[in-house]
Amino acid sequence: MPYILNTPSQIKEMLEVVGLHSLEELFSHLPPSVRIKGHLSLPSGLSEEELIRVVKRLAKKNKSLSNFNSFLGGGIYPHYIPSPLNHLIGRAEFYTAYTPYQAEASQGILQAIFEYQTYICLLTGMEVSNASLYDGATSLAEAVLMSLRIKKRSKVLVCESIHPEYRATLRTYLKGFDFLVEEIKFNRYGFLDLDILKEKIDDEVACLCIQSPNFFGLIEDLESISEVVKGKEILVILVTNPVSLAILKEPAKLGVDIVCGEGQILGRACAWGGETFGWLATKRDYLRQLPGRIVGKTIDREGKESFCLTLQTREQHIRREKATSNICSIHSLNAIAGAIYLSLLGKEGLKKVALYSLNLAHYFYQCLQDIKEIKLVFPSSFFNEFVWQVNDSYQVWEALYRKNIIPGLILEKFYPQLKDCILSSCTEIKTKEEIDDFVRCLKEVIR
Amino acid sequence: MKEKIIFQKSQKGRFTDYVTNPQISIFPPSHFIPQKLLREDLNLPSLGEGEVVRHYTNLSRLNYCVDTNFYPLGSCTMKYNPKVNEDLANLEEFLHIHPYQKEEDIQGTLELLYNLEKLLCEITGMERFSFQPSAGAHGELTGMLIVKAFHSLKREKRFKVIIPDSSHGTNPATASMCGYQVVVVESTKEGLVDIDKLRKLMDSSTAGIMLTCPNTLGIFEEKILDIREIVHRQGGLLYYDGANFNALLGITKPSLMGFDIVHLNLHKTFSTPHGSGGPGAGAVGVRKDLVPFLPVPLVDKKNDYYYLNYDLKHSIGKVRSFYGNFPVLVKTYAYLLRLGKEGLVRVAHNSVLNANYIREKLRDNYQLASSKRCMHEVVFSCKDKKEEYGVTALDLAKRLLDYGIHPPTMYFPLVVKEALMIEPTETESKETLDYFIEVMKRIDQEAKTKPSVLKDAPHTTFTKRVDEVSAARNPVLKWEEYGE
Repeated sequence: MPYILNTPSQIKEMLEVVGLHSLEELFSHLPPSVRIKGHLSLPSGLSEEELIRVVKRLAKKNKSLSNFNSFLGGGIYPHYIPSPLNHLIGRAEFYTAYTPYQAEASQGILQAIFEYQTYICLLTGMEVSNASLYDGATSLAEAVLMSLRIKKRSKVLVCESIHPEYRATLRTYLKGFDFLVEEIKFNRYGFLDLDILKEKIDDEVACLCIQSPNFFGLIEDLESISEVVKGKEILVILVTNPVSLAILKEPAKLGVDIVCGEGQILGRACAWGGETFGWLATKRDYLRQLPGRIVGKTIDREGKESFCLTLQTREQHIRREKATSNICSIHSLNAIAGAIYLSLLGKEGLKKVALYSLNLAHYFYQCLQDIKEIKLVFPSSFFNEFVWQVNDSYQVWEALYRKNIIPGLILEKFYPQLKDCILSSCTEIKTKEEIDDFVRCLKEVIR
Repeated sequence: MKEKIIFQKSQKGRFTDYVTNPQISIFPPSHFIPQKLLREDLNLPSLGEGEVVRHYTNLSRLNYCVDTNFYPLGSCTMKYNPKVNEDLANLEEFLHIHPYQKEEDIQGTLELLYNLEKLLCEITGMERFSFQPSAGAHGELTGMLIVKAFHSLKREKRFKVIIPDSSHGTNPATASMCGYQVVVVESTKEGLVDIDKLRKLMDSSTAGIMLTCPNTLGIFEEKILDIREIVHRQGGLLYYDGANFNALLGITKPSLMGFDIVHLNLHKTFSTPHGSGGPGAGAVGVRKDLVPFLPVPLVDKKNDYYYLNYDLKHSIGKVRSFYGNFPVLVKTYAYLLRLGKEGLVRVAHNSVLNANYIREKLRDNYQLASSKRCMHEVVFSCKDKKEEYGVTALDLAKRLLDYGIHPPTMYFPLVVKEALMIEPTETESKETLDYFIEVMKRIDQEAKTKPSVLKDAPHTTFTKRVDEVSAARNPVLKWEEYGE
């Protein structure tokens, strides 16, 4: 009997204490018509050995990234994960504990999250961070809801160059309300179109949402953008790649009010997009509007430094329908993994990850520049991914795929106007050989 | 010894190399990016591998967890998390998959989800499931947006949602996030939904009801069929908050009780670990006519080929990026295959038996919140102890730590004064329950004879009782001494 410890004789003994004759009687007060007659129509249980065999058989039907020379990015990136990270995250004291409600029995989790919040503030230059959210898309949605509460206005401006799935999620999150979401087109260089932005600004706008590096990898001129909204009482919300912050200026210094994004990039696997956490940081002025858990420093009764969940009157279990969000469980373990990743790599390590990703992507870009059939669609001020165009892109993509190369993400599905365009990405795990191999195969395919 | 903050351990010049220097010329960032957009300094610590490993290992040892301690945290279902599930979720072929890979590369992933969906449909009686929601509350948001879309499509103006006063806090918070006005229906003194009051509240401007069953007092809503009748007759929908489904596995199905939409906390009932507060998964299932409203995509099959189906006529869209917390779903699938139909019923039987055993053994010492038989959890009130001895539910809870037991949920449900909500789960043995019962009785004695022992508890933990009030009054939310 997997995972049950009570023996038949113990069960009998316990039933006697409860005053019943059978386990069935525990449910005798349920209306008969709601009861399942007999058993569920499911298979019987497997032994552990059979279970492993069955699930491994499924796993073998996948072709993982290890089989390919892949240039996929677009929000989820395969960075190198130092070996100690998963050992530490695999400690049961982290992964089989609950949300740290009982501070005295959860100091390790609480300190790890406190350090996580500090890391997010160091990267972004912001004053406060929460303890994580689900993923990048929902962190953007929560940031927008924050801005609507803060500004009590009805309009949201969203750059079209924000990750398409983030924009889709934001639209879903706003479905319960009558807010107006207006998208701002990117210009022919792939950047936010400042002229359109100026036209759209009015006194109903609560926030402007930008991504930088944007979905095409381009680094937006946040300084000029902030200049446009300055004095208009509009909050600037930035989605960004946390690894890019190793080299890019702190968003807090560029007029950004709320910064958020995907945390998978900090030490989690690609996992089909399923090992994520959302991170979110802002100014202290907006602290009371933050969604989700926050860890604070305090003292115990002996005066010793300690930690606990704090400012809980923002949260659903206390404030119910007036809470800042309905979020309860967050993505703590992934966030703690993010903190461990930053600790292991440290200042020099993270800089290297960013620098190598940047240089490899630009080396790749240079190589493509020399192929006349390839058009580099946008300028070269990108971080670790860029857009290129080739005629008959689907055929070219397929031909390369047959050579075990995944050239990148075909953008037409998300941006019909970007016909035949592909988004390719590099992280520090790419090698010169892999890029050269891609370029050689690409030439073969198109000629 | 207290573990220092990691930033205090930084030593300039210390560094472990993990990444390979690519064999190309490396230019500084300013070569590619305008200087004004670059940062001057990156103020992260410089640490070495050995000390990082020691730091987090030492931190981990300050936590109670299911693998080390009895953890009867009510409404959280802290059952044993099988190790084999972790092995399977971490298989390279599942983990090293990019979300934008071709369907033909991920046939195993899709088949697993397809199979898992079939299992959950049979267990709940729902027609289809979405795995995108990443936590229980996220599932609620998804489900209630479906309610909203369903009524909107019929051009019905329904702006209220009924929620029992015993509900999880996420229910009213979710209803608000969907733009609904929350109407609270009171409970009877037995802790059940007051049917007469519900009948008066339910009208054609009400979108539906959000209900937990068994409810948060651990009691089965015996009048569930009346509730269904009242809500459905006015055109409302029944939303099942499946955070508390453990007691009913294989016993009943939400569909049989009359629910139209269900979310399941896979990290509770289906044994996936809680990870210090996530990631979990809050799969959402719906009855047949609500399928077109589910988030996109669903996993479908055509001629033995699995694919992502985006063709849902009234879909509410996406509720997050990509497809959901896939590793959590692998663990759920493994759990269901391992248990099978007989194993699931055993879960229900033993979880309910364990809770009732505690209930029976402690009812003379602690005041029951309801005279009804409990299901997966039992709620006591410490109101009398507070009045008589001045000890609160919090004091009792903290004292449990001295005996190596994680406290139950406290002060919830809100309808019970000084509540202690105890959920033992099916994976605990009679011996553990007997120890817990003995400790609870001893604490009851202590409350009478030396209440200060409780007031000052815990005594044996490394950190003593934490001052949460000053933490909130003067929020220190990051390590300030570092940097600048």
